[in-house]
This record gives sequence, structure tokens and C-alpha cells, in this order.
Amino acid sequence: MQRLAGSILIIAATTGAGWMYGTELKNYLQMMRYIRYVAGLIKGELEYTGAPLAEVFRETGRRVKKPFSTWLVRMALEIDEREATAFARIWNRGIDRDLKELNLKSEHSILLKELGTFLGQIDQDTAGRSMQLYLNRLDLEIEKLREGLAAKRKIGNCLGVMGGIFLVVVLL
Amino acid sequence: MERQDRRSQILKILAKSIRRIIEEEIPDMDSLQEIRMRTGQPLRIVKDNKDQAVPERKYHIVTKEEMRETLDYISRYSLYAYENELRQGFLTVEGGHRVGVAGKVIMEKERVKNIQYISSVNIRVSHEVIGCADALLPYITKNMQVCHTLIISPPGCGKTTLIRDLIRQISDGNQYVKGCSVGVVDERSELGGCHMGVAQNHLGARTDILDCCPKADGMIMLIRSMTPQVIAVDEIGTREDIHAVEYAMQCGCKLIASVHGLDMDEASKKPVLGELIRRRMFERYVVLGNGEHPGEIREIYDERGRVLCRDLRAVY
Repeated sequence: MQRLAGSILIIAATTGAGWMYGTELKNYLQMMRYIRYVAGLIKGELEYTGAPLAEVFRETGRRVKKPFSTWLVRMALEIDEREATAFARIWNRGIDRDLKELNLKSEHSILLKELGTFLGQIDQDTAGRSMQLYLNRLDLEIEKLREGLAAKRKIGNCLGVMGGIFLVVVLL
Repeated sequence: MERQDRRSQILKILAKSIRRIIEEEIPDMDSLQEIRMRTGQPLRIVKDNKDQAVPERKYHIVTKEEMRETLDYISRYSLYAYENELRQGFLTVEGGHRVGVAGKVIMEKERVKNIQYISSVNIRVSHEVIGCADALLPYITKNMQVCHTLIISPPGCGKTTLIRDLIRQISDGNQYVKGCSVGVVDERSELGGCHMGVAQNHLGARTDILDCCPKADGMIMLIRSMTPQVIAVDEIGTREDIHAVEYAMQCGCKLIASVHGLDMDEASKKPVLGELIRRRMFERYVVLGNGEHPGEIREIYDERGRVLCRDLRAVY
């Protein structure tokens, strides 16, 4: 009886782990889609109002959820304080500090940081085009994640169950 | 404006190395008029009407990096947002301080598109003189209403400061004039010193400002949208401006305007403005003097050209 209970627990745990892996992948994809949404809002605000970055971030920060709202509003405050020698420093520091909890993959973090190197440095039209380029690259990344998602989730689930069974067999 | 506020507003827009020098060299910002930065040249200030390099013992040569950093701070890392202002050669920062710029001009279709490679920055500290129009107001009001008034003055004699205080007093009201809605067309952000659309100078509780708007268009827009009782504009000059002034006068609005000129004779000789003066459209003419101090009122005339007052005490 104890063996049966133990086996069920092991299989349930590994199945759960497999399911968690799949859910994390799904959540990551959703988060990337939300980053795209935030970047789209910034682009729209920049193009429509032509306002300085602090106002653009403050306005966008009001319309998005945490931690993006905290990130944008804090950046607006830091811009007003004028303590950093370049805007890219404020942008990068903000990503490292406020978006840390998102656990972005390094390539996606670098992609997001690249955006800060040209924001504010170029005229409005070029900024709009550069933002569009960034959105296109983000779309590609999202597409890559989406394509692999179904297969990876399936593998995660199967491996969870199979791994559990394998462990039970080995332990018995 | 609070003294401390003004100090921090000015310091905030300077590159850190220059910030330190100004902090050490100028403990009192009240007498500071200008900070001039030119790439490769010593940092200079104008204080108490005296131009001097700082620090006095060992001049500080302004570098390209300091210029770039200062521009980043002035524009809050968003130079693109100030393209329209830069096209005119200046932008206004928080507190109404004016930043003039010079560098390489980019042309497009025979018009200035932008300024690139900015090599000179001139920060003009805003000094609002509250109450400088106190002595003038009794002469330009009748039955608690302001008269159509033209201020004639050579450049640098304080006409903008005078108009600004007139606007504030007319808008808020006092013993000479009943408070009324005032529309201000501030083409170069000199009257309101607007920053992000909000006036940084005191222009009164009933004042609506069209910032960075051409005067001729702005006056008509204000009449249609804000129904002002008084319209104020600074430095009218073009034919369109003067036609818009005439239009505003015929719409039941009282008008306060200023024009560059030495005296009444010179103003009367201006092509379109002269015609308005001959038709006695303005009820009062205020001529400012070119004396030692800005704001000296030399003469005030009525619509017939009769002198109402001469050599009014300097009001600044």
C-alpha cells in the first residue's frame, strides 16, 4: 500500500513539474506579447504626441500593469532628475532593476536594452521607424516562441509522466 | 518664483562639471542674468549687467561632451520633442528660463528645418517683475476697463516684462480694472514662459495662453474659441499681425500690443500700423525710454496724440 502511494506521489510530482514547465513557457510567451504591447503604446505615444520621453513614459505607465508601470513611471522620474549622463543608462538600469522579476532571457533583455540606445537621440520620424524595426524583431521572437510552444509543452507533459514512471520502476 | 526653485531649475539643466562651477562661483542667483556656453571657449556668465568668465582665477573651457550633456538635460533627453522651438533658435525650460542655441542650420525648402551640431548655448534666467505695471495701469484704464493700448519701445527696454505684468493685473483685477478673461498669443514663449503648455510666469487667474502660435492665427483662434475680453500680443510686426489686431479690435476685444520703435513718429511711419494709428484705433500709446534702467516710461499718449504723462518714474 505504501509503495503504491509513493509511486502515485512520484508520478504526480513529475507530471506536475512537466505541466509547470509548459505553463512557464506559455506565461513567457504571454509576457513577450505584453512587452510588444507596451512598446507599441510607447511608439504610438511618441508618434502622436511628439512629447518628451518623460511624458511618454508617464502616460504609458498609467495604462499598463505592474511591473511595467513601475518601470516606466520610475524612468520618467529619473529623467526629470537629470542625474544620468545619457538616457541609455536610465533605460538599462530600469530594466535591470524593475523588470528583473520577469526573468527575461538574455537575448530578449539585450533586445530590449538596444531600444534605449536610440530613444531620444534621433528625430521623431527616425525614432518611429526604429521603434517599428524593434517591434518587427519582437514579432519574430514571439513567433519563434509560439511555434515551439505546443511541441515543448507536449514534451514537458510526456516527460513528466514518463520520468515519474521511470523513477517508480527504478525505485521499486 | 521661489529663490531656491530658480536655483535648482538652473543647476539641473547644466552638465555636472559646469553645475559644480556655477554652484561654487555664484551663491546668489538673483543677480545672474545669463550663462553662456560656447564649445572650446571659456564658460561665461552675465551678472549685474557684467559679462565675465568663470571661474575667475582659472577659466573653464567648455567641451563638446559638456555641451551634449547640457543639451540632454535641457531637453530631458528628448531633443526631438523641441524641433519646432529649435527651429526658432530657442527653447523654454521649467521656470520660464530661455535657452538660446546656435550651431549648424539645416535648411529644407528654403526654410530652417533644424539646428544641428549645437555649439553655443545661452541660458537666460527668467526675472519676473511683479508689480512693474502699477504706475502705468491708471493711465490705460477707463471705467474699470482697459483701453486699446500700444506699447512702443526699442529692444531691451522691458516691454515684454511690462506687458506680462499688465496681463496679470488685468486678469486678476484691482482698483483700476475689473478682472476679465485675457487671451495671450505667445509666439516665442516670452510672456508666459510656458513649459509643456503650462505658464511658468504669473499671468493671472483668467488668462488663456496659446503658446508657440503665430500671432495672426492665434488672435483669431482665441476669439473663436475662448471669447477673451482682452487680447495681449508682444512684438507685432508683419502685415498679417496688424490685420489680425484690427480684426480683434472690431470683435469687441480690448487689445494690448507692443511694437519695436523709438517713439510715436517712428511707429506712425510703419506701413500698416501707421494706418491704424491715423485711424485712432488705439486709445493709448505708451512709449518706453532707452535710459539706464529698463522699464522707464517716457510718454503716455491718448488716441489724439495728446500727452497724458511724461517721464513716469522707472517702475523696475
